[in-house]
Amino acid sequence: MTTATQEKGPAPETAIKAVPVRHPGRWVAVVVILVLVAMFVNMLITNKHFDWPFMFDNMFSPPILHGALTTVGLTVSSMLIGVVLGVILAVMRLSTNPILSGVSWLFTWFFRAMPRIVLMIVFGNMGILYARLEIGFPFDTQIGHLLGVDFHGRLFGVDAPTLLTGFMAALIGLALSEAAYMAEIVRAGIQSIDEGQSEAASALGMSRGQTMRRVVLPQAMRVIIPPTGNETISMLKDTALAAYVPVNSELFFQIQAVGTRTFNVFPMLVSACLWYLAMSSVLMIGQHFLERRFSRGHGRTARGGAAGMPTGVEGGSLSA
Amino acid sequence: MPETPAFAEPVDTPSGSDIVRAEAVHKSFGRLEVLKGIDMTVMPGEVKCIIGPSGSGKSTFLRCINHLEKINAGRLYVNGHLVGYRERAGKLYELRDHEVAAQRRDIGMVFQQFNLFPHMTAMENVMEAPIRVKREPKQEVRERAGELLNQVGLGDKLRNYPSQLSGGQQQRVAIARALAMRPSLMLFDEPTSALDPELVGEVLDVMRRLATGDTGATDGVAASGMTMVVVTHEMGFAREAGDSLVFMDGGVVVEEGAPREVLANPKQERTQAFLSKVL
Repeated sequence: MTTATQEKGPAPETAIKAVPVRHPGRWVAVVVILVLVAMFVNMLITNKHFDWPFMFDNMFSPPILHGALTTVGLTVSSMLIGVVLGVILAVMRLSTNPILSGVSWLFTWFFRAMPRIVLMIVFGNMGILYARLEIGFPFDTQIGHLLGVDFHGRLFGVDAPTLLTGFMAALIGLALSEAAYMAEIVRAGIQSIDEGQSEAASALGMSRGQTMRRVVLPQAMRVIIPPTGNETISMLKDTALAAYVPVNSELFFQIQAVGTRTFNVFPMLVSACLWYLAMSSVLMIGQHFLERRFSRGHGRTARGGAAGMPTGVEGGSLSA
Repeated sequence: MPETPAFAEPVDTPSGSDIVRAEAVHKSFGRLEVLKGIDMTVMPGEVKCIIGPSGSGKSTFLRCINHLEKINAGRLYVNGHLVGYRERAGKLYELRDHEVAAQRRDIGMVFQQFNLFPHMTAMENVMEAPIRVKREPKQEVRERAGELLNQVGLGDKLRNYPSQLSGGQQQRVAIARALAMRPSLMLFDEPTSALDPELVGEVLDVMRRLATGDTGATDGVAASGMTMVVVTHEMGFAREAGDSLVFMDGGVVVEEGAPREVLANPKQERTQAFLSKVL
């Protein structure tokens, strides 16, 4: 009723004509900001070292476009592995099996402690440890020695440099590090779901696995999605670290390469800023729509909210 | 009593006629002893109401019946099977998770907070367990779920999500969800305590019809009156629908008898004191 009358506008006799509160401070701030912006734009135009024509000529050159593609590929694939592994680790961590939860804790502890760039460079240098990577019977030659025979139980193998390219090293480093963070995010999501939900599922005879897949995880998604969006944006930026593995097809590597080759470093750094800004913005837009989708059905109506979510509050006050 | 074959699943109880039998059930949370030796039997078709002050252990006892809580001492049988354990040669073995789950399929439970799955519609809530747990054919389950929701008066709310339903409607969906598994026993844990006063009646009405078997069911869902254990504060329901009434206090059964008798002429002082406060 009240909203309906407000929408029609106030009745003529009772309409209030009051002088609104003045905000002189806002005008001062606008002037100050305008002056600062003008100074900044002036600097961008007059400072010769920006060399805009050079930047725009090189910003979209084929190696840099290829680098941008590598960056996107590295972001997407390491996030995919990270999310899948993170969910598995989170479920393991919350398992009643002490071995599973112990392994998960150990993984998370180690990979959260390692700086990503250190991890990536370590994986990049794995070739020093292993010339070949082989899969087969463990301790085969030692057992052969004990038995006095020449036993080699290797099924197959590859030369390390074939498999551990710079890209693979960066991917493994980023993905494992991400998995550790995602495990914590997913765990928080799972733990945010009311225990009554899994109790109800158990009471219906559902197994732990069914309860997790059908009841808990779908509800936890709403809590898991926003931080995962943040993680994806962080990941996009962290792929720049791959330039030091090195991954020579990566965006930042290529941009720096152009800069050092032409002795025109600063314009290329500006182009790096613009590239990351553009790609992050696209991700932020995606995150916005994803969040809106997954928060659907929550706080739908006043009655829906009262009946759906805070039943605990209602019951608590009654039973207390 | 016949000899139990060595490898057959043993029926642990000598008398197979009772649905629930508790013998000196004890339960402690850490150092706090919540149940101090509960003895109770529930016969087929019986509606047993449990009343008592908060903290008396009545909800905990109910949760022990389907092994949501592990008991620390005593024996608890449902349909002649020890709950949560297997007894062989005088030794108790814990059941595996899937064995406990199998036991729970036969026991329906309705919670104070409804605990409907908020991401599923009323229909999906009811269909979930028969399809996933019992692997029954989807079409058959859909028909039965529709019929059950009809019986609880929600035939027009099949596609609504829990957040679009009132508390009373949600609790009725929860009852239909439990019945969809065709349980031989229904447990109600203060089913109306979280409801607004004007919504209590509709839920009690469904429970009353379930107790008498007057559900309009065509496929034998509780056709002859469901066996029910109801923890409640609704003395009216206990008086009219209950076959027996148990008063619990401080983790023990203080008094048990016919509801009218216990409510009108309580013999124990603690029962008198409690009833004088709530009636």
